Amino acid sequence: METFWNTIADYNAATWPAQLLLVGIGAVLTLLLYKRPSSAVRSAMKIYMATLNFWIAGVYYLVWCRPREYHDLLALFWAIMGCIWLYDLAVKHASLERTKHHTIFARLLFVMPLVYPLCSLALGRSFPMITSPVMPCSVAVFTVGLMLAFSERINIVLAMFLCHWALIGLSKVYFFGIPEDYLLACSVVPALYLFFREYIRSLENRPAKPSPRVLNGLLGLLCAIIGGFFAFTLLHQFNLFTRI
Amino acid sequence: MKTRHELTEILDFIAEYATYLLGSGVHTSRAIRNSQRIGEALGVDIQLSSFQRSTILTVRDDESGEAITRVVKIPSLPISFERNSDLSALSWDALDERLPLAEIRRRYALLIEKPRIDPIFVLVTVGLANASFCRLFGGDWTAMAIVFTSTLVGFAAKQRMQAHGVNHFLIFIIAAFMASLCASSALRFDCTAETALATSVLFLVPGVPLINGVIDIVEGHILIGCSRLINALLLIICIAIGLAATLLMVKDSLL
Repeated sequence: METFWNTIADYNAATWPAQLLLVGIGAVLTLLLYKRPSSAVRSAMKIYMATLNFWIAGVYYLVWCRPREYHDLLALFWAIMGCIWLYDLAVKHASLERTKHHTIFARLLFVMPLVYPLCSLALGRSFPMITSPVMPCSVAVFTVGLMLAFSERINIVLAMFLCHWALIGLSKVYFFGIPEDYLLACSVVPALYLFFREYIRSLENRPAKPSPRVLNGLLGLLCAIIGGFFAFTLLHQFNLFTRI
Repeated sequence: MKTRHELTEILDFIAEYATYLLGSGVHTSRAIRNSQRIGEALGVDIQLSSFQRSTILTVRDDESGEAITRVVKIPSLPISFERNSDLSALSWDALDERLPLAEIRRRYALLIEKPRIDPIFVLVTVGLANASFCRLFGGDWTAMAIVFTSTLVGFAAKQRMQAHGVNHFLIFIIAAFMASLCASSALRFDCTAETALATSVLFLVPGVPLINGVIDIVEGHILIGCSRLINALLLIICIAIGLAATLLMVKDSLL
């Protein structure tokens, strides 16, 4: 726990100018995708996402989180996601065309990386020992928002990676007592529901098995179970805090 | 008595039917029995011998004694027990109702066009099945949840790579590596991490080729049985390579 926060503090203290630059580039590219989308902007966003993932893998995990156990594995995890973005850039899988669905939720997810440090401050922490916008969970939330706002056809492998990361984030809440990671877990469940609901909608005009109605019901049930599990963890966490 | 043209038409249909069955995970003797049943309904004798990638078929008209032989490639299709069962039922319908070739063809086309199970539904159910395996092997709830999402990652990667036509063996290595890499995150938590790691790749175990290989050998189709077992063994080695890569990184050893 102590090592965890110390590594975060060292990372923030050493890289905050670079983090500000990355946040700035991300904000500009997101605005350009909304206002002046073009093939160059879409490619730039994919390169930015790959860079961001490689940054988390290389700078965050390999350099600053070296004292943590299994930091190299987590670096590999993020490097694979970076490679998926590069592959996406090469094969042009995700169009990054504006979907115009769930705009409010997508915008909420876009500002979520900025909410992370505010949450830390609200929980009584101070800079540099706070969660920042260029950390794994913040980047994961931003990626989910990007996929929701700009991808008619989502990259399912990337979505599953993020789902796995959200679960690890939730486990961190439970095992290490880091409530900020609830933000990712709480964002991913509705996002996954929306991704899959769009997918099920696309099946409505062609024969599918099980039928779209059954699939929708199963999806709702699965999300309700996961939501229930999250709520249970949250209540348990509150219980732990009150005991402390 | 059948004309040569009629015999060729029957042969073409049986070739399509039998190779479809063999490509969809049916063991050899079942494909032979079903094909011979349709042949009996149409008044011809069918002989079939199958190898891993191709099948040799002979149709013979008992009255005229004329025979035609063809060698047909076996397509690689997704395994579907429901479709296999439907196609077996078609062969019984053909025999019981003495259906003409045109009607058998029509019903066959209808069965083939039936929608397959949705890939996303398969993805989620495979994840749940693998999480259940984890529980069966003594995993706790945290390990189960991690195995569930790890399987989603590995299986989604497998589906995408298959859609892009990546080499079969490479797919197994990469999928096993990705699933076990994700499952290795269990090591950071106080849970049954080793069970999670070991069970995360079970969704890749080639059960159908293993079972079909044994059935083929038992029923006397030694060559194709051995081919299927060797193929399954190679896939298991690929899974082992993927898992070993993760273990070497995580634990610096294979044990």
